[in-house]
Amino acid sequence: MISCKAITKSYTKGANTVTPLENLSLKVPRGEFLALMGPSGSGKTTLLNLISGIDTPTSGSLEIDGEDIARFSRKQLTSWRARKVGYIFQLYHLIPVLTAFENVELPLLITSLSRAERRKKAEEALDLVGLSGRSDHTPGELSGGQEQRVAIARALVADPALLVADEPTGDLDRESATHILGLLRSLSREHGKTIVMVTHDARAAAAADRALHLEKGKLLTTDPNLTVA
Amino acid sequence: MTALLSLAFKQLVRHRLRTLLTVLGVGSGMFLFTSVETLQQSLASVTEETAADTTLVVYRENRFCPMTSQLPEHYADEIRGIDNVREVIPIKIVVNNCGASLDVITFRGVPSGLLTKFAPEIEIVEGGSAEWEKRTDAALLGEQFAKHRGLKSGDKFDAVGITVYVAGIIRSPFPQDNNVAYVHLDFLQQASKSGLGIVTQFNVRVEKSSDLKQVAEAIDSRFKSDQQPTNTRPEKAFFAETAGQLIELIGFTRWLGLGAVIAVVALVANSILLMVRSRVKENAVLRTLGYPGKAIMFLVLSEGGMLGLAGGIVGAGLAWGFLRWQSFTMGSEGHTLAVLPEISTALLAIAGALILGIVASVHPAFVAIRQPIVKSLRS
Repeated sequence: MISCKAITKSYTKGANTVTPLENLSLKVPRGEFLALMGPSGSGKTTLLNLISGIDTPTSGSLEIDGEDIARFSRKQLTSWRARKVGYIFQLYHLIPVLTAFENVELPLLITSLSRAERRKKAEEALDLVGLSGRSDHTPGELSGGQEQRVAIARALVADPALLVADEPTGDLDRESATHILGLLRSLSREHGKTIVMVTHDARAAAAADRALHLEKGKLLTTDPNLTVA
Repeated sequence: MTALLSLAFKQLVRHRLRTLLTVLGVGSGMFLFTSVETLQQSLASVTEETAADTTLVVYRENRFCPMTSQLPEHYADEIRGIDNVREVIPIKIVVNNCGASLDVITFRGVPSGLLTKFAPEIEIVEGGSAEWEKRTDAALLGEQFAKHRGLKSGDKFDAVGITVYVAGIIRSPFPQDNNVAYVHLDFLQQASKSGLGIVTQFNVRVEKSSDLKQVAEAIDSRFKSDQQPTNTRPEKAFFAETAGQLIELIGFTRWLGLGAVIAVVALVANSILLMVRSRVKENAVLRTLGYPGKAIMFLVLSEGGMLGLAGGIVGAGLAWGFLRWQSFTMGSEGHTLAVLPEISTALLAIAGALILGIVASVHPAFVAIRQPIVKSLRS
């Protein structure tokens, strides 16, 4: 599903060149739930941003489902993200004036689906995360765990093959975090989604199929079965 | 596209205070713009000559106020004898104020029986011609004149020391006829103490528009060596030349209209720019979800357009209703100008506000799509 080959990401900050990722290679099979761990500044969020197509590598190739997205134009990346990726943010990033239903419906507004089809898909996604009874509530009326479930429903609603999650339990209490991790695991196992999750939390990483450590932009493995290309 | 419009609409409706304040600001600007446009359009309707114009005004040479223009009434018979003259009506004008004013009262004294012959387009909408013919102090009030002062047939009113009985209310396709009170000529000559046989001007109807110049020259030539020489001009040119104060005043309002337009653009641009800056993260999230730049631009432009449209409807609607309700009449040198808004002016203001709202959002829309997603998410 995901094949990173010698990817490097660097940018200039003032007079200095910063390289958060250097010559990194990684493979993630379809349907796997992968946790990326590491200290702050290790490059894990940068890697997540590259895999999700909201940023582009400076060099190397990044194939997802056989397409090298590192060579995509900005326009192609935008279209690819809409079809292939669901992004789950640490702070949910729901639009505060929209209801849970309207937030979940957002990715479908740029598709050619009819209103009825959009409604059906958004309701199914909310049902999947167990929030069908809260569809008319705005984010301000929901708990943190519920907001994150709405964000997961939004990430799922366009039925992408790949879900990326940046610290999805970082802002939640233990009970809500357990619920979210269970949900992600079931999405991977029962719905065949490939999930790449960044986390600081070893308990969260334990919910994944495997966990990888990054440090100073390089990959260290904690999984003896890891295949690094 | 409809789904995105609906999203933009929800954003506006659910940010109530910001939307309300912006709409009020745009509305104030468009109120001013509609009022100014109404003034300009009202002025144009009485000063811009058309092929349908067939009326000449004969005034005393080198006089500009009805109080100083005094012509012998018997000139009418001589004018009537000139080729291509269809009808002549001697008019005595008495006004309460010769300068530019918002509260001008104009009496036009005309010979009994000649009014409907000279101006058959005049329609009596209230009261009747019997009362007008029977009573010497009878007055036929222009529709606007009566509406502005709350008068109806059967009332009596006093102005400029003249008391008249309202015999009826008239309506004319010519705006200037709707702002005056027609009274009997001899009654007005006596009441104004100017003396019988003296009138202010003659209104002359010619056979066709192309006769205006030739007839005007013939009239002025006829009285050139007389004790009271004349200056004859088409009615609209006469208004344009003699109501100079009024025209200058209205000309100045163009700058107010321009100021209103600039204020609307600045207000919408500022509001949308603030909105874009406060929603940097929201826009980055939408782009992460796969929204292309053009969809984000469409959302920003739609919000700007909707703010402009709502402000335009509020401002133009209020201005239209206010000017209709108030029935303002401006006057200068005995000429009156009804400030009456047309639906087309209000529609122009609404369309203008919509376009201004969209134009003002172009820069904020570019700002919204230029920020890198990753940087915006971290902001």
